[in-house]
Amino acid sequence: MRVEITRFDPDKDEVPKTQEYEIPVQADWKVLDAINYIKDEVDSSISHRWSCRMAVCGSCGMMVNGEPKLTCKTPLSAYSDSIKIEPLANFPIVRDLVVDIDGFMDKFRRVKPWIVRAKERAEDMEALNEKGTYSQSPAELVVFKQFSMCINCLLCYSACPVVANEPEFMGPAAIALGHRYNLDSRDQGDRERNRIFRGAGTVFSCSFANECSEVCPKNVDPAAAVNQAKLGAVIDWAKGLVLPRGGA
Amino acid sequence: MAGAAHPEAMAPLKKGATRTAPPQTPASWWGAPRVRTYLLFGATGIVYLLAGGVVWHLAWALGKGPDAWATALRGLSNPLYILFHLVTLVSLIFVGVRAFGTMMPKMQPRGGPLPVLAPGVVKAVIFGAWAAITCLLATILAGGIF
Amino acid sequence: MKQLLLRFEPVIWLLFGAGLSIGTMLLTGFVLIVGLAIPLGVVPADALSYERAHMLASNVIGRLVLLGLIALPLWKGAHHLRSLSIDFNGEARDGAVGGLLYLVAIIGSVGGILAVVRL
Repeated sequence: MRVEITRFDPDKDEVPKTQEYEIPVQADWKVLDAINYIKDEVDSSISHRWSCRMAVCGSCGMMVNGEPKLTCKTPLSAYSDSIKIEPLANFPIVRDLVVDIDGFMDKFRRVKPWIVRAKERAEDMEALNEKGTYSQSPAELVVFKQFSMCINCLLCYSACPVVANEPEFMGPAAIALGHRYNLDSRDQGDRERNRIFRGAGTVFSCSFANECSEVCPKNVDPAAAVNQAKLGAVIDWAKGLVLPRGGA
Repeated sequence: MAGAAHPEAMAPLKKGATRTAPPQTPASWWGAPRVRTYLLFGATGIVYLLAGGVVWHLAWALGKGPDAWATALRGLSNPLYILFHLVTLVSLIFVGVRAFGTMMPKMQPRGGPLPVLAPGVVKAVIFGAWAAITCLLATILAGGIF
Repeated sequence: MKQLLLRFEPVIWLLFGAGLSIGTMLLTGFVLIVGLAIPLGVVPADALSYERAHMLASNVIGRLVLLGLIALPLWKGAHHLRSLSIDFNGEARDGAVGGLLYLVAIIGSVGGILAVVRL
């Protein structure tokens, strides 16, 4: 099989270029197996990220024939006799197939992806401990569980036409994970997050192309999260008009 | 992947020590079938803008008086208007099927006081409302009732 | 301009959403009869003689529906065209393009209110 791989050496190359490899493949290989074969047997100078080989760690996302894919989950047999492997679209390229994901981490941090609590009062603590601190019923878990399955593989950022053009946009995974905490029965930070959702990089930049959900390997459905987040942010905004801040 | 994304797309707030190549995006991103459907969905915006304008033109004529109204209504038999309204009808159905069928069922608020219904149920309710409103309005306008 | 648009994003999104849903639902029947059936002679033009059209449009519900038919599609159209402009590398011109499109929607909505009020 012929495999085309993007090469970029920041010390030598002005722009990324393409290198071709002709390799023998086995029927049950995934795309990642082909890249690992090249790295091990043909050209050890290739840089790529991978770890778990079972669609959990989220590090082997790449463009395969122009579509963002988790390479450990994508069978080679889905392609005919040649494939083109490129680094994830819409991210600065560090080297070969490796992209810089710090931009995502910056956006991710902004949505406060942790449980935010108002300061607990001492007199409430006893009652809280009585029923189990921050206990959560299965029904309360189901509300957000789907959105917590994100593995930060960032395929959604590569697929999103808005991410490609609006550097400030917070993007699918970050908004989905922020929304996940807004839906968490233990969390009390939704007002704060809704304000962030309406601020720079706003959720309203999303034009519902739905590409994020199409490419998501974990069926998180980020497009659903982002558009539920829009509705939540609008309701919160309307409440703010009617009630004084801090009310309700 | 010759097509360039915004040069600052997904750029970190603090640039790292290593030089990076600017982000790329597939040059033919707009050619993928799903993306084309999405772009066409957005492009119906032109039809909606014009359709709103046509209704305004009719409403304005109705306010002017019987002669203006008759002229405006007769004007709609112009083949160009008929072609436009055919395009509008197709656009409306396309927009409705995508928005009501795939987008809105996903948007139900969760965790609130309202129960989260199965997407099929939401779809049925919205499409039912669309059909009912269309039938009612069409019957009234065609002189069936009132 | 971008800051101004950002401030009003929730209102814009609500109007857009109303255009997408209510606008589509209302326009379908309207276009079917007024735009196609009557001009093509399937429904006799008498159905919308001046007297009957005025009677239908001039009560409160009629005025509201007519205003919905005029204003809501404008917001759907303006918002979608703005998104489309951004998708084609238009982030830098978003302030101008978005501002202009929403201005058209605002003018159209005010025009719609005037048209409905003077019926």
